[in-house]
Amino acid sequence: MLLEAKNVLYSYKSNRDKIVLKNVSAAFGEATFYAIVGSSGSGKTTFLSLLAGLDHPVSGTILYNGEDIRKKGLNNHRKHNISLVFQNYNLIDYLTTEENVKLGGKKDAEKLLREVGIPGEDWKRNVLQLSGGQQQRVAIARALASEAKVLLADEPTGNLDEETADEIIDLLKKTAHELGKCVIVVTHSKHLAGEAEMRKKIKQNEKYPLPNAERCGMISHVETVVQHSSQKEETDEK
Amino acid sequence: MNLFQRAIRSCFRKPVKSLLLLLVVCMISLLFLSGMASRSANIVAKDSTRQAIGAGFLLEYNPESRSRRLEEASQKILERNPDGQGSYGRVHLKNVTVMGSENLMITTDHSFESLKSDDIEKIAAVEGIADYNITTVPTAVKQANFERVEDADADQTNDFQGVALIGNREMSMDANVLSGNVTILEGRMTTKDDTNVCVISRELAEKNQLEVGDQLQFHSVKAEEPVQEATIVGIYQVRERMEPYMSGDTYRSENVIFTDLHFPEKVEQDDPLYEKAYFKVANVDDYDTVKEAIRKTDINWQWYDLIDNNGNLDTMASNFNDLEKISNTLLLVVGGAGFVILFLIFIFWIKNRTNEIGILLSIGIAKGKIFLQILTEAALAGIFALALSFLIAPAVSHAAADALAGQQAGQAELQEEMDAGKVATDYQAPELTITNVETEITSAMLLADGLSVGTLIVLSTCAASVLIFRKNPKDILSEMS
Repeated sequence: MLLEAKNVLYSYKSNRDKIVLKNVSAAFGEATFYAIVGSSGSGKTTFLSLLAGLDHPVSGTILYNGEDIRKKGLNNHRKHNISLVFQNYNLIDYLTTEENVKLGGKKDAEKLLREVGIPGEDWKRNVLQLSGGQQQRVAIARALASEAKVLLADEPTGNLDEETADEIIDLLKKTAHELGKCVIVVTHSKHLAGEAEMRKKIKQNEKYPLPNAERCGMISHVETVVQHSSQKEETDEK
Repeated sequence: MNLFQRAIRSCFRKPVKSLLLLLVVCMISLLFLSGMASRSANIVAKDSTRQAIGAGFLLEYNPESRSRRLEEASQKILERNPDGQGSYGRVHLKNVTVMGSENLMITTDHSFESLKSDDIEKIAAVEGIADYNITTVPTAVKQANFERVEDADADQTNDFQGVALIGNREMSMDANVLSGNVTILEGRMTTKDDTNVCVISRELAEKNQLEVGDQLQFHSVKAEEPVQEATIVGIYQVRERMEPYMSGDTYRSENVIFTDLHFPEKVEQDDPLYEKAYFKVANVDDYDTVKEAIRKTDINWQWYDLIDNNGNLDTMASNFNDLEKISNTLLLVVGGAGFVILFLIFIFWIKNRTNEIGILLSIGIAKGKIFLQILTEAALAGIFALALSFLIAPAVSHAAADALAGQQAGQAELQEEMDAGKVATDYQAPELTITNVETEITSAMLLADGLSVGTLIVLSTCAASVLIFRKNPKDILSEMS
C-alpha cells in the first residue's frame, strides 16, 4: 500500500490521559478516492494530521511505501509525499492566484489553473479576490502542483454551496482516477463520503472499552466501507 | 518560489507592517546615531576645551618648610650670638623696642623668600612644558607722577600710601588672567620681552586720565630716589575686585599695576621676590606624564609645593563626563527599549502570520526557511530604515547634541546663580559657554549603528519566533482553524 497507519495511538501533549486515537490501522492505495468519516470529535482530522506528517503518533507508525515516515523526516514527507487541501482554503494572502499554485511545486501553474477551471484573468489577481469555490480550486491546483502521490483534504467542501461542492468533488475524483493519486478526504458530509470509493469510519470502540474510556470517550476503530458506483459493500476491518 | 521571492512580495504587498517596522527601526537607528554622535561630540568638545583652557602646574614655596628653615636659621643665630642679634642664611634677628619692651624681630632677604630662578628654569626645561610664567609678590611702591585710587573712609594709618606692582614674565599666564577675572580693556598685556612697561586698572586710568603710551613714575617706599619709569601698554578691567594682599589702599584692586617681571625689583632696588611660577602643559592629555617628569627634576622639593592648576579642567571634565554618561545611558536605553519594542512588533507580526506559517509548514517548507523568510523581510525593512536614518541622522544628531549642550549650559547658569554674591578668591573658574557643538556622523558610527540595529532585529526576531516555532505544525494549523 502507498500510505498505511499501523496501530496508531495518539493523545494530546497537554493531556496524555486523553487518548484521541487508539490502535487505529488503515491502508490507502493509489488511484483511489477515500473518505474518512466519523462523528464530530472522533479524531478524523487528527488522523489526517498524522497521515500528513503534521504530528507523530504516541505509538504506532505511519508508513509511506512501507517505510516509516519519521525515518526521512516529517517535513520531507509533507514536501514530497503528500499535498494538503483545507476547509478554509489556506492560501497565502499576499500572493496572486498563480503564485499560490507555484508555491505547491514546480508543475505548470497555468495549466493546472486551467484544469481546475480558473479563468486566465484571475491568475494575476490577489487570491483573496476570488470566490470561495475558486479559492478551493486554487488550493487543489496548488496540491496538484506537487509531485506527491497522496492528496489529503480536510472538509474540502465544508465552506461551499452544494453546486460548488459538487464541482470540487468532481475535481477530487478526477485527481484520483485520471491522475492516479491517492485522495483521502476527511468529512462529515454524507454527500462527499458517498462519492468516495472507500469509506473508513472512525467511531468509538464499544467492543473494547479501556479503563479510561469514559473519560476520553474517543477510543476508535476503523471500519472500511467499500463502495463502487454500481454496488456498495460494507466490511468491518475490526 | 523561494523564500527571498516570498519575502519581497510580503514586504511590498503588505506595506503597513513593513512601514511600521521601517519607522520603528529608523527611530531606533536615529537614536543610536544621535547617542553616538553626541558622545563623540562631547569627547571632542571636552578635548578641545581642555586644550583651550590649558592646564599647568603652580610652583610655590611650602609654608611649613619656610617656617622650619626660618626656625633653624634663628636657632643658629641665637647659638652664635649671645645677645640674639645677627644673621644666618639670609635671615636676620635684631632687637626692636615696641611699646617699651624689647623684642627680637626676624627679617628675611628677598632671596630667602623668593622662588629660585634656577629651579624654575629646570622645571621649565621639562619636556611637555609649553611655556611658563613667574609672578612676583605684590610689591608696595610709591607713585611719583599720578594719584592712586583711595577710599576716604578707610584707615590708612599703616598703609604705605602707594600702589602694588605685580611683575609677570608673561602676564597672560598670571593667575588673575587665567581665571578670567582680569581682561584687557585697551592695549595689551606685558610679555617676557618687555622692559619697563605696565598695565593699569581702568579706575586708575580714569582717575588720572591716563592712556596707553603714557609714562608712570615710581620709587621705593624707603627712598624717593631713584625714580623708575614704566610705559603703560594696556588698561585692564576686572570682573570681581582682586582680593587685597594686605589691608590698606596700597593693595586695593584698583591700585594693582601689572608690570614686566623685573620692574618691581628695579623700583625697590632689591633682589627679585618671585612668589609663584606657573608652568603651562603643552598637551593636556600628557598632564600626568609631565607631572611625573617634573617631580623627577633635581631640585629641593622639600621647599616647594607643586600645585595642580587644573581645577577648572576638573569642573569642565565633570560636566562633559556627565554628558558622556547621558549619551552612554541613552545608547543603553535605546538598545534595551529597541529590543523590547522590536520583540513586541515581531510577536504581533508573527502571531498575525500564524495562518501563513501553518500553510508553509503544511506544504513541507522547513521551519528554518520560514524563519529565514521572516528575518529577510525584517532585514529588508531594516535596510531601508537604516538608509533613511543615515540620511537624516546628521540633522537629528546635531539637534540632539545641541539639546544636551543646552542642558549643560543650563546647569552652568544654575551654578553661576548659586555662586553669585560670593567673595572672589584666588582661583576663579573661567567663564565657559558652549555655544555650538559640532557633531559628525562617521562611517564607523554608521557601521556600529548598522551592526547594533541588525543584532537587535535578529535577536528580537529569534525571541519572538521561538513562541510559534516551538509548536508542531498540527498545533499551528489548529490555531488557524
